[in-house]
Amino acid sequence: MAEINAVVNHSNASANGPRKVSSIEESSPFPVPGQGPGVLEMRVKEGSKIRNLLGFAMSRIQGEGGQSVVSQVLFTGSGRAITKTITCAEIMKRKVLGLHQVSKIQYRTVREVWESQEGCRTQTTINRTVPSISILLSKNPLDPQEPGYQPPDDLFSQTKEKDEDNTPLDLGKRHWSCYSPVVLSTSKRACLEEDKHTAP
Amino acid sequence: MAEPRSPVSATVPQTPMGLAPPEGAVVEMDPVEYTLRKRLPRKLPKRRNDVYVNMKTDFKAQLARCQKLLDGTAGHREICIHGLGLAINRAINIALQLQAASQGALQLAANTSTVELVDDLEPEDPDEAGEPLTRTRNNSAIHIKVFYPNPQ
Repeated sequence: MAEINAVVNHSNASANGPRKVSSIEESSPFPVPGQGPGVLEMRVKEGSKIRNLLGFAMSRIQGEGGQSVVSQVLFTGSGRAITKTITCAEIMKRKVLGLHQVSKIQYRTVREVWESQEGCRTQTTINRTVPSISILLSKNPLDPQEPGYQPPDDLFSQTKEKDEDNTPLDLGKRHWSCYSPVVLSTSKRACLEEDKHTAP
Repeated sequence: MAEPRSPVSATVPQTPMGLAPPEGAVVEMDPVEYTLRKRLPRKLPKRRNDVYVNMKTDFKAQLARCQKLLDGTAGHREICIHGLGLAINRAINIALQLQAASQGALQLAANTSTVELVDDLEPEDPDEAGEPLTRTRNNSAIHIKVFYPNPQ
Protein backbone atom coordinates (compact mmCIF):
# COMPACT_ATOMS: atom_id res chain seq x y z
CA MET A 1 0.00 0.00 0.00
CA ALA A 2 2.70 2.45 1.06
CA GLU A 3 4.69 1.67 -2.03
CA ILE A 4 1.77 2.39 -4.29
CA ASN A 5 1.17 5.73 -2.60
CA ALA A 6 4.81 6.67 -3.03
CA VAL A 7 4.63 5.91 -6.72
CA VAL A 8 1.51 8.00 -7.16
CA ASN A 9 3.16 10.93 -5.43
CA HIS A 10 6.09 10.71 -7.76
CA SER A 11 3.99 10.87 -10.86
CA ASN A 12 2.15 13.87 -9.48
CA ALA A 13 5.39 15.70 -8.76
CA SER A 14 6.90 18.32 -11.02
CA ALA A 15 7.92 17.55 -14.56
CA ASN A 16 11.51 17.22 -13.38
CA GLY A 17 10.65 14.41 -11.00
CA PRO A 18 11.35 10.80 -11.66
CA ARG A 19 9.61 9.34 -14.66
CA LYS A 20 8.45 5.80 -15.10
CA VAL A 21 10.30 4.33 -18.03
CA SER A 22 8.83 0.89 -18.12
CA SER A 23 7.06 -1.68 -16.03
CA ILE A 24 7.56 -5.32 -16.79
CA GLU A 25 5.39 -8.00 -15.33
CA GLU A 26 7.61 -10.90 -14.47
CA SER A 27 6.54 -13.82 -16.59
CA SER A 28 5.29 -16.30 -14.05
CA PRO A 29 5.32 -20.00 -14.75
CA PHE A 30 2.10 -21.26 -16.18
CA PRO A 31 -0.20 -21.06 -13.18
CA VAL A 32 -2.43 -24.02 -13.91
CA PRO A 33 -0.51 -27.30 -13.96
CA GLY A 34 -1.16 -29.86 -16.63
CA GLN A 35 -1.82 -27.24 -19.26
CA GLY A 36 0.68 -26.20 -21.83
CA PRO A 37 0.87 -24.20 -25.02
CA GLY A 38 -2.06 -23.92 -27.38
CA VAL A 39 -4.01 -21.84 -24.91
CA LEU A 40 -5.29 -18.44 -25.89
CA GLU A 41 -3.97 -16.06 -23.27
CA MET A 42 -5.92 -12.88 -22.70
CA ARG A 43 -4.05 -10.33 -20.63
CA VAL A 44 -6.60 -8.03 -19.09
CA LYS A 45 -5.39 -4.55 -18.24
CA GLU A 46 -7.05 -1.79 -16.31
CA GLY A 47 -8.07 0.09 -19.44
CA SER A 48 -9.02 -2.91 -21.57
CA LYS A 49 -12.51 -2.86 -22.99
CA ILE A 50 -14.54 -5.92 -22.18
CA ARG A 51 -16.17 -5.91 -25.61
CA ASN A 52 -12.77 -5.94 -27.32
CA LEU A 53 -11.46 -8.74 -25.12
CA LEU A 54 -14.56 -10.85 -25.45
CA GLY A 55 -15.07 -10.12 -29.12
CA PHE A 56 -11.65 -11.56 -29.85
CA ALA A 57 -11.83 -14.43 -27.38
CA MET A 58 -15.31 -15.48 -28.51
CA SER A 59 -14.30 -15.51 -32.18
CA ARG A 60 -11.34 -17.73 -31.34
CA ILE A 61 -13.19 -20.20 -29.14
CA GLN A 62 -16.11 -20.47 -31.54
CA GLY A 63 -13.95 -20.48 -34.64
CA GLU A 64 -15.75 -17.69 -36.44
CA GLY A 65 -14.42 -16.23 -39.65
CA GLY A 66 -12.29 -19.24 -40.57
CA GLN A 67 -9.98 -18.73 -37.61
CA SER A 68 -8.41 -21.64 -35.85
CA VAL A 69 -10.47 -22.87 -32.94
CA VAL A 70 -8.92 -22.87 -29.50
CA SER A 71 -10.31 -25.08 -26.79
CA GLN A 72 -8.90 -23.19 -23.83
CA VAL A 73 -8.79 -19.53 -22.89
CA LEU A 74 -6.74 -18.11 -20.04
CA PHE A 75 -7.72 -14.73 -18.62
CA THR A 76 -5.04 -13.08 -16.51
CA GLY A 77 -5.12 -9.74 -14.78
CA SER A 78 -3.51 -8.07 -11.82
CA GLY A 79 -4.19 -5.23 -9.46
CA ARG A 80 -7.16 -3.15 -10.44
CA ALA A 81 -7.82 -5.32 -13.50
CA ILE A 82 -8.79 -8.32 -11.37
CA THR A 83 -12.49 -7.47 -11.28
CA LYS A 84 -12.55 -7.03 -15.04
CA THR A 85 -10.78 -10.34 -15.51
CA ILE A 86 -13.42 -12.17 -13.48
CA THR A 87 -16.22 -10.39 -15.30
CA CYS A 88 -14.77 -11.48 -18.66
CA ALA A 89 -14.61 -15.09 -17.53
CA GLU A 90 -18.12 -14.96 -16.11
CA ILE A 91 -19.60 -13.52 -19.30
CA MET A 92 -17.79 -16.08 -21.42
CA LYS A 93 -19.07 -18.92 -19.24
CA ARG A 94 -22.60 -17.63 -19.77
CA LYS A 95 -22.20 -17.39 -23.54
CA VAL A 96 -20.35 -20.64 -24.10
CA LEU A 97 -22.01 -23.39 -22.12
CA GLY A 98 -20.13 -26.33 -20.69
CA LEU A 99 -16.84 -24.66 -19.89
CA HIS A 100 -14.67 -26.08 -17.12
CA GLN A 101 -12.86 -23.53 -14.99
CA VAL A 102 -9.80 -23.35 -12.79
CA SER A 103 -9.02 -20.09 -11.00
CA LYS A 104 -5.70 -19.28 -9.36
CA ILE A 105 -4.69 -16.28 -7.31
CA GLN A 106 -1.10 -15.38 -6.61
CA TYR A 107 1.25 -12.47 -6.03
CA ARG A 108 3.00 -11.25 -9.10
CA THR A 109 6.19 -9.22 -9.23
CA VAL A 110 6.20 -6.14 -11.38
CA ARG A 111 9.55 -4.55 -12.08
CA GLU A 112 9.30 -0.84 -12.65
CA VAL A 113 12.16 1.21 -13.99
CA TRP A 114 12.15 4.86 -12.96
CA GLU A 115 14.39 7.54 -14.36
CA SER A 116 15.20 10.77 -12.59
CA GLN A 117 15.61 13.68 -14.96
CA GLU A 118 17.64 15.99 -12.81
CA GLY A 119 21.12 16.40 -14.25
CA CYS A 120 22.61 12.98 -14.65
CA ARG A 121 20.11 10.37 -15.67
CA THR A 122 19.97 7.67 -13.07
CA GLN A 123 17.72 4.70 -13.27
CA THR A 124 16.19 3.04 -10.28
CA THR A 125 14.37 -0.23 -10.35
CA ILE A 126 11.51 -0.98 -8.02
CA ASN A 127 10.08 -4.42 -7.54
CA ARG A 128 6.46 -4.40 -6.50
CA THR A 129 4.23 -7.32 -5.75
CA VAL A 130 0.66 -7.07 -6.89
CA PRO A 131 -2.11 -9.61 -6.44
CA SER A 132 -3.20 -11.24 -9.69
CA ILE A 133 -5.70 -13.79 -10.90
CA SER A 134 -5.57 -16.36 -13.69
CA ILE A 135 -8.74 -18.02 -14.87
CA LEU A 136 -8.54 -20.94 -17.27
CA LEU A 137 -11.69 -21.79 -19.19
CA SER A 138 -11.63 -25.08 -21.06
CA LYS A 139 -13.94 -27.00 -23.33
CA ASN A 140 -12.13 -30.17 -22.29
CA PRO A 141 -12.62 -31.57 -18.80
CA LEU A 142 -10.06 -30.47 -16.23
CA ASP A 143 -8.86 -32.17 -13.06
CA PRO A 144 -11.65 -31.80 -10.48
CA GLN A 145 -9.11 -32.29 -7.66
CA GLU A 146 -7.24 -29.17 -8.66
CA PRO A 147 -7.79 -26.37 -6.10
CA GLY A 148 -9.97 -23.69 -7.63
CA TYR A 149 -11.77 -26.04 -10.03
CA GLN A 150 -15.36 -25.27 -10.98
CA PRO A 151 -17.47 -27.63 -13.08
CA PRO A 152 -19.59 -26.17 -15.87
CA ASP A 153 -23.01 -24.87 -14.85
CA ASP A 154 -25.47 -27.59 -15.63
CA LEU A 155 -28.06 -26.82 -18.26
CA PHE A 156 -30.95 -27.37 -15.89
CA SER A 157 -30.16 -24.48 -13.58
CA GLN A 158 -29.45 -22.24 -16.55
CA THR A 159 -32.82 -22.81 -18.19
CA LYS A 160 -34.61 -22.58 -14.88
CA GLU A 161 -33.06 -19.21 -14.25
CA LYS A 162 -34.10 -18.09 -17.68
CA ASP A 163 -37.70 -19.13 -17.17
CA GLU A 164 -37.94 -17.36 -13.87
CA ASP A 165 -37.22 -13.84 -14.88
CA ASN A 166 -37.41 -13.87 -18.69
CA THR A 167 -34.06 -12.18 -18.86
CA PRO A 168 -32.69 -12.16 -22.36
CA LEU A 169 -29.40 -14.00 -22.50
CA ASP A 170 -27.71 -10.95 -23.95
CA LEU A 171 -25.76 -9.57 -21.03
CA GLY A 172 -24.79 -6.36 -22.69
CA LYS A 173 -28.23 -4.81 -22.41
CA ARG A 174 -29.65 -3.50 -19.21
CA HIS A 175 -33.26 -4.30 -18.88
CA TRP A 176 -35.91 -2.31 -17.16
CA SER A 177 -39.04 -3.58 -15.64
CA CYS A 178 -41.90 -2.20 -13.64
CA TYR A 179 -42.37 -2.89 -9.99
CA SER A 180 -44.17 -5.96 -8.91
CA PRO A 181 -47.73 -5.19 -7.71
CA VAL A 182 -46.74 -5.36 -4.06
CA VAL A 183 -44.25 -2.57 -4.35
CA LEU A 184 -46.56 -0.49 -6.52
CA SER A 185 -48.62 0.67 -3.54
CA THR A 186 -47.33 4.23 -3.39
CA SER A 187 -47.90 5.03 -7.02
CA LYS A 188 -51.25 3.28 -6.90
CA ARG A 189 -52.26 5.60 -4.11
CA ALA A 190 -51.19 8.53 -6.20
CA CYS A 191 -53.36 7.28 -9.04
CA LEU A 192 -56.37 7.04 -6.73
CA GLU A 193 -55.83 10.62 -5.66
CA GLU A 194 -55.78 11.65 -9.24
CA ASP A 195 -59.05 9.86 -9.88
CA LYS A 196 -60.65 11.70 -6.99
CA HIS A 197 -59.67 14.99 -8.49
CA THR A 198 -60.81 14.29 -12.00
CA ALA A 199 -64.01 12.40 -11.17
CA PRO A 200 -66.28 15.30 -10.13
CA MET B 1 -26.78 -0.25 5.31
CA ALA B 2 -29.72 0.76 3.14
CA GLU B 3 -32.50 2.33 5.07
CA PRO B 4 -35.97 0.90 4.59
CA ARG B 5 -38.00 2.41 1.83
CA SER B 6 -39.66 5.54 3.17
CA PRO B 7 -43.31 5.70 2.25
CA VAL B 8 -44.04 8.61 -0.02
CA SER B 9 -46.74 10.85 1.37
CA ALA B 10 -49.76 11.05 -0.90
CA THR B 11 -51.13 14.26 0.67
CA VAL B 12 -49.03 16.53 -1.49
CA PRO B 13 -51.40 18.99 -3.20
CA GLN B 14 -51.81 18.14 -6.83
CA THR B 15 -52.88 20.21 -9.75
CA PRO B 16 -55.85 18.46 -11.31
CA MET B 17 -54.88 17.13 -14.65
CA GLY B 18 -57.93 18.69 -16.35
CA LEU B 19 -56.97 22.21 -15.31
CA ALA B 20 -53.35 21.97 -16.29
CA PRO B 21 -52.31 24.71 -18.71
CA PRO B 22 -51.19 23.63 -22.17
CA GLU B 23 -47.60 24.27 -21.14
CA GLY B 24 -48.09 21.63 -18.51
CA ALA B 25 -47.95 19.03 -21.21
CA VAL B 26 -44.58 20.33 -22.24
CA VAL B 27 -43.36 20.23 -18.66
CA GLU B 28 -44.56 16.68 -18.38
CA MET B 29 -42.37 15.75 -21.31
CA ASP B 30 -39.33 16.51 -19.20
CA PRO B 31 -37.61 13.45 -17.90
CA VAL B 32 -38.73 12.72 -14.38
CA GLU B 33 -35.94 12.75 -11.87
CA TYR B 34 -35.28 9.53 -10.10
CA THR B 35 -33.38 8.60 -7.03
CA LEU B 36 -31.40 5.45 -7.47
CA ARG B 37 -31.50 3.18 -4.51
CA LYS B 38 -29.36 0.09 -4.49
CA ARG B 39 -30.86 -2.84 -2.69
CA LEU B 40 -28.60 -4.95 -0.61
CA PRO B 41 -27.25 -8.06 -2.29
CA ARG B 42 -29.23 -11.20 -1.70
CA LYS B 43 -28.35 -12.46 1.75
CA LEU B 44 -26.27 -15.57 1.62
CA PRO B 45 -26.14 -18.35 4.16
CA LYS B 46 -23.42 -17.75 6.68
CA ARG B 47 -21.50 -20.41 8.52
CA ARG B 48 -19.17 -19.66 11.38
CA ASN B 49 -16.18 -19.88 9.07
CA ASP B 50 -17.61 -17.62 6.37
CA VAL B 51 -16.22 -14.12 6.02
CA TYR B 52 -17.89 -11.54 3.80
CA VAL B 53 -15.36 -8.86 2.95
CA ASN B 54 -16.56 -5.31 2.45
CA MET B 55 -14.97 -1.95 1.70
CA LYS B 56 -16.30 -0.17 4.79
CA THR B 57 -14.46 -2.08 7.48
CA ASP B 58 -10.77 -1.48 8.02
CA PHE B 59 -8.59 -3.87 6.02
CA LYS B 60 -6.44 -4.81 9.00
CA ALA B 61 -9.47 -5.62 11.11
CA GLN B 62 -10.81 -7.97 8.48
CA LEU B 63 -7.43 -9.62 8.05
CA ALA B 64 -7.13 -10.07 11.81
CA ARG B 65 -10.60 -11.55 11.97
CA CYS B 66 -9.70 -14.18 9.37
CA GLN B 67 -6.42 -14.94 11.13
CA LYS B 68 -8.27 -15.37 14.42
CA LEU B 69 -10.73 -17.78 12.86
CA LEU B 70 -7.85 -19.91 11.61
CA ASP B 71 -5.67 -20.08 14.69
CA GLY B 72 -7.67 -18.87 17.67
CA THR B 73 -9.60 -21.08 20.01
CA ALA B 74 -12.03 -21.58 17.15
CA GLY B 75 -9.24 -23.16 15.13
CA HIS B 76 -11.08 -23.76 11.89
CA ARG B 77 -9.30 -25.99 9.39
CA GLU B 78 -10.76 -23.93 6.57
CA ILE B 79 -12.47 -20.61 6.14
CA CYS B 80 -14.29 -19.14 3.18
CA ILE B 81 -13.69 -15.53 2.15
CA HIS B 82 -16.30 -13.91 -0.07
CA GLY B 83 -15.90 -10.65 -1.98
CA LEU B 84 -18.30 -8.87 -4.31
CA GLY B 85 -17.39 -6.25 -6.91
CA LEU B 86 -14.83 -3.80 -5.60
CA ALA B 87 -14.25 -5.98 -2.55
CA ILE B 88 -12.87 -8.77 -4.76
CA ASN B 89 -9.41 -7.21 -4.65
CA ARG B 90 -9.54 -6.95 -0.90
CA ALA B 91 -10.71 -10.54 -0.53
CA ILE B 92 -7.80 -11.73 -2.67
CA ASN B 93 -5.38 -9.56 -0.73
CA ILE B 94 -6.57 -11.00 2.58
CA ALA B 95 -6.31 -14.56 1.29
CA LEU B 96 -2.80 -14.03 -0.09
CA GLN B 97 -1.61 -12.33 3.10
CA LEU B 98 -2.98 -15.19 5.20
CA GLN B 99 -1.13 -17.63 3.00
CA ALA B 100 2.11 -15.62 3.19
CA ALA B 101 1.86 -15.38 6.97
CA SER B 102 1.43 -19.15 7.27
CA GLN B 103 4.74 -19.86 5.52
CA GLY B 104 3.04 -21.90 2.88
CA ALA B 105 0.97 -24.05 5.23
CA LEU B 106 -2.30 -22.67 3.89
CA GLN B 107 -3.71 -23.39 0.46
CA LEU B 108 -6.13 -21.33 -1.56
CA ALA B 109 -8.94 -22.42 -3.84
CA ALA B 110 -10.75 -19.60 -5.62
CA ASN B 111 -14.13 -19.80 -7.28
CA THR B 112 -15.89 -17.04 -9.20
CA SER B 113 -19.56 -16.37 -9.66
CA THR B 114 -22.04 -13.78 -10.84
CA VAL B 115 -24.44 -12.12 -8.43
CA GLU B 116 -27.61 -10.46 -9.64
CA LEU B 117 -28.24 -7.10 -8.01
CA VAL B 118 -31.40 -5.02 -8.08
CA ASP B 119 -31.53 -1.23 -8.18
CA ASP B 120 -34.72 0.71 -7.49
CA LEU B 121 -35.44 3.92 -9.29
CA GLU B 122 -37.92 6.08 -7.44
CA PRO B 123 -39.38 9.24 -8.95
CA GLU B 124 -38.20 12.31 -7.06
CA ASP B 125 -41.62 13.87 -7.33
CA PRO B 126 -44.45 11.47 -6.56
CA ASP B 127 -46.93 13.64 -8.50
CA GLU B 128 -45.13 13.14 -11.76
CA ALA B 129 -46.31 10.34 -13.92
CA GLY B 130 -42.94 8.66 -13.73
CA GLU B 131 -43.25 5.04 -12.84
CA PRO B 132 -41.02 3.44 -10.27
CA LEU B 133 -38.58 1.20 -12.06
CA THR B 134 -36.25 -1.56 -11.09
CA ARG B 135 -33.10 -2.45 -12.88
CA THR B 136 -31.21 -5.67 -12.55
CA ARG B 137 -27.52 -5.82 -13.17
CA ASN B 138 -24.83 -8.36 -12.65
CA ASN B 139 -21.70 -8.09 -10.64
CA SER B 140 -18.79 -10.47 -10.27
CA ALA B 141 -17.94 -12.18 -7.02
CA ILE B 142 -15.16 -14.35 -5.68
CA HIS B 143 -15.22 -17.08 -3.07
CA ILE B 144 -11.83 -18.15 -1.73
CA LYS B 145 -11.47 -21.23 0.38
CA VAL B 146 -8.44 -20.86 2.65
CA PHE B 147 -7.53 -24.21 4.15
CA TYR B 148 -4.87 -26.43 5.65
CA PRO B 149 -4.39 -29.38 3.33
CA ASN B 150 -5.01 -32.73 4.96
CA PRO B 151 -1.79 -34.20 6.38
CA GLN B 152 -2.36 -37.67 4.94
